[in-house]
Amino acid sequence: MSLEERRESILITAFPRQALVSIAILAAAWETLSHLAPLLGIPPFAVPSLVRIAQSLTTITWIDVVVTLARVIAALVISFALGLALAMGMYRSERLEHHLRPLIRLLMAVPVISWILFAVLWFRGVEFRIVFVLVVVCAPVFLVDTLDAMRSVPRELRRMFQSFRPTPVQFFFKLMLPAIVPGIITSWKINLSLAIRVVTIAELVGAVTGIGHRLAVSQELFSVADVFAWTLVLVTLLFVLEALVVRIETRVLRWRA
Amino acid sequence: MRGPSPIEVRQLRKVYRQTASGQEVVAIARLDLTIEPREVVAIVGQTGCGKSTFFDLMIGLEQPTAGSIVIGGKTPYGDFDHFRGQIATVFQQDRLLPWRSSIDNVRLPIELMGLPEDVQRKRSLSWLERLGLKAFIDAYPHELSGGMRQRVAIARAFVVEPEILLADEAFGHLDEVTAAELRETFLALARECGSTAILITHQLEEAIGVGNRIVVFGKSAELLADIRVAEWGKAEHPVLREAIQATLQNNRPDRRLAREPIVGA
Repeated sequence: MSLEERRESILITAFPRQALVSIAILAAAWETLSHLAPLLGIPPFAVPSLVRIAQSLTTITWIDVVVTLARVIAALVISFALGLALAMGMYRSERLEHHLRPLIRLLMAVPVISWILFAVLWFRGVEFRIVFVLVVVCAPVFLVDTLDAMRSVPRELRRMFQSFRPTPVQFFFKLMLPAIVPGIITSWKINLSLAIRVVTIAELVGAVTGIGHRLAVSQELFSVADVFAWTLVLVTLLFVLEALVVRIETRVLRWRA
Repeated sequence: MRGPSPIEVRQLRKVYRQTASGQEVVAIARLDLTIEPREVVAIVGQTGCGKSTFFDLMIGLEQPTAGSIVIGGKTPYGDFDHFRGQIATVFQQDRLLPWRSSIDNVRLPIELMGLPEDVQRKRSLSWLERLGLKAFIDAYPHELSGGMRQRVAIARAFVVEPEILLADEAFGHLDEVTAAELRETFLALARECGSTAILITHQLEEAIGVGNRIVVFGKSAELLADIRVAEWGKAEHPVLREAIQATLQNNRPDRRLAREPIVGA
């Protein structure tokens, strides 16, 4: 069995065995709690039954899912391009790194909610606000991860490559880029999860479309079942995107032992 | 025909400044050496004597502090691009790119030179076959043994059909049998290609088993001895072996090397 086949079979078999059992136990516990809620003095709307949640799932508006997904992907692409460009600059120029490092650390320390408030105060366009928040949160992560990956390319490999007298473009595309791919993929995994969480919060404030907006509406209507349904969609979306990245990783990094 | 130019090392000096202490370290004090085309030279010296610095200066990755290395009127550092495809290297570790298969590792130098795709493949395949790796052309480095990886590294050096071949402790990390076998292969191919070969080693046995010339470096690459093996009949000449050993140990030329050697004695 090839490495790729082995990894795929792990993904297929490990998920049902471990995750499905846990989910089934959680669902059973939830269903029991929803039936016992009146006896325990909990309002019935606070713990809706699984059937009620399933009903909410049928009312999901896919346009909101697509809008959120588009925002996440657009922001991640911009963040990655920005992070990669700055990482390359900082790799080449120690002076630039000394200037930017503290700034990057500062940016990463600012809470997401502060960025959302800044965005609301500074910008008018809703889309721009959301993308701004996502980029300002995700780009530094891409930058730091890419720069670390570049710095960890072994000196021996760089010397060997330089001994063949490559052009700077060849040096980047034939050595550095393939060498940092594992680090970049890990960074995408981290940022996907981060972006999904941040976009929801950003959409809660001010957006008129998207999953975050739908969550805000559900909260206004005191519909816990709808909040559950949209949360399930979000989690599923994240799992699907992560599975996609893992698939790409398996293909791109098939050379790894 | 390749290799018409000698390598002329003139008053070569290399001094490093330590980053932490700011102290100067003299890696090469002053070196004069001429290596003729197609010569096979073994440079032997103890660890830290400046052999690897000389290797880096030969490749052109370092700039000499003073003096020069001139090959056909050009210097490897100053005319860096001129030597693309003319100087090839085999390093201590194979230094293969882990994401490239054997054939893709071998084709790397000629890919960088911009040779046509079909030429790249044909030439790489031919060199892998010559090194006995036909069955492993699509294998990744982690799927190969240490000896096989070093064979790929040798094929990668020869694929450019270089004028000058440099090997820095290239066989020292392998077991004795594999090292001897690879050394023989390397030398045979170097002779066949008409390349000038410089092998750097800290092992006397390796130096003796290699060249038609043995250069002994002392501290800061001081030239302690420059021996033409033919004058001694053979490199395994017991007096020669002992004299080189004594030179290395005492860090000064052994007096027996100054005597006229007796061929076949």
